[in-house]
Amino acid sequence: MYLNRISMVCALTGRAEVIRVMLKDQGAEFDEKVITMEMWKESTLKASCLFGQLPIFEDGDLTLYQTNAIRRHLARKLGLYGKDQREAALIDMMDEAIQDLLNKYIKLMFEKDDSGKEGYLKALPTDLKPFEKTLSGDKGSFLVGDKISLADYALVILLIHHQVLSPPCLHAFPSLQSYLKRLCARPNLHAYFHSDDFKNRPIIPGKRT
Amino acid sequence: MATTGVRGTVRKIDSIVQKSTTTRINSVSPSRMFLEYHRRLIYVCLALHSSNNFAMGPYTITYFGVRGRCGAMRIMMADQGQEWKEIVVDFADWMKGDLKATCVFGQLPKLEDGGFALYQSNAILRHLGRNHDAYGKDGKEAALIDMMCDGVEDLRLKYVKMIYQEYDTGKDVYIKDLPNHLDKFEAVMAKNKTGFLVGDKPSFADYSLFEVLLNHLVLCSSCLDTFPSLKSFVEKMSARPKIKTFLDSEAYKKLPINGNGKQ
Repeated sequence: MYLNRISMVCALTGRAEVIRVMLKDQGAEFDEKVITMEMWKESTLKASCLFGQLPIFEDGDLTLYQTNAIRRHLARKLGLYGKDQREAALIDMMDEAIQDLLNKYIKLMFEKDDSGKEGYLKALPTDLKPFEKTLSGDKGSFLVGDKISLADYALVILLIHHQVLSPPCLHAFPSLQSYLKRLCARPNLHAYFHSDDFKNRPIIPGKRT
Repeated sequence: MATTGVRGTVRKIDSIVQKSTTTRINSVSPSRMFLEYHRRLIYVCLALHSSNNFAMGPYTITYFGVRGRCGAMRIMMADQGQEWKEIVVDFADWMKGDLKATCVFGQLPKLEDGGFALYQSNAILRHLGRNHDAYGKDGKEAALIDMMCDGVEDLRLKYVKMIYQEYDTGKDVYIKDLPNHLDKFEAVMAKNKTGFLVGDKPSFADYSLFEVLLNHLVLCSSCLDTFPSLKSFVEKMSARPKIKTFLDSEAYKKLPINGNGKQ
């Protein structure tokens, strides 16, 4: 699939990782410019961003902000949005729920101390259960339909982050474990997750995991 | 303009029929007569066979007795001339857990579109956007609409946090900071010049923004005074006949905005 040369400007890892993972897996070429917090504070870039936030994404003459809008745009172009309208709606539904959990996770990461971690980990099984249930059905290969979608990329990254946070967190979820193993074995993802590029990038810059 | 789904199929057929009639000569060919006389039958047959077809409706919303996260979708369905059934859930019943256990993520709202059940309010808005040609005319507009809807969602999350967690202590600070968030939408609205955020007709992002602005006007009636494009947007959306009828209805007025009664 031909894509215009895409360029992305983003802070380290954080929300942009889900975009990277999707592009890497699909073999889409893109340029990336990484902005550090120091650069962000010193430059006029923030004022030029629609919502004062990164990432910025450029695809030809289209400039986009908002990570999830960027992901949806790419998903449409790369055929990762289901085979029909019904699947698209279910992918959206899964993705929104994954974003809810990702927001909770990011909130935890930015807390001043570890006091919220215990409560978070206690609630985690309830948060993960719907995904386990979805993937343990008859056609459990992907969250929706029989092809990888934008929601799957988000879930893979979410699960990887949570395994770092709490290695035993998937012990009670065999379908999630096998799903993660299967997706991480996809050749491009396997190569990316074993690369220095991925390994050296902190999940959230300057924060503990 | 839709190129997929039932509406897209209908447009394609219309275009074929139009082309055939404009090249009319003395005699009408049998195939042209067939197309014209059987246009509606062809629409239905093609629609049923189209892989991207989604048979719409009837709609049912299951939610608590508030506007909350159903505000935007109700306004959108009203404006699109849709009827829908409301199943109102009593919070005490909800806490018993039976209905909650049937919901994929243990949450409401739930939209039923015929036999298809969907959760997550923004997924529902996007689905309605696809159903009712309110997701832009092409991929570029769709992306911009997604972006604006995500921006509205960020504002909605801030509002909800203030309402439920910090109303007494944080309301004044929130109102003071509000221009720093509204100015982004003002800039986009002013630049687009059509009276909508993206393109030249309302998208689900417009309905979401409209609804969040209505709630903010209740919070602070002067909050749009320095934002002429947003003020005009709210006035024009409110004046759209089907929206006006809905906003004047008991069904709308009787529901509190938020579950804790704060606004």
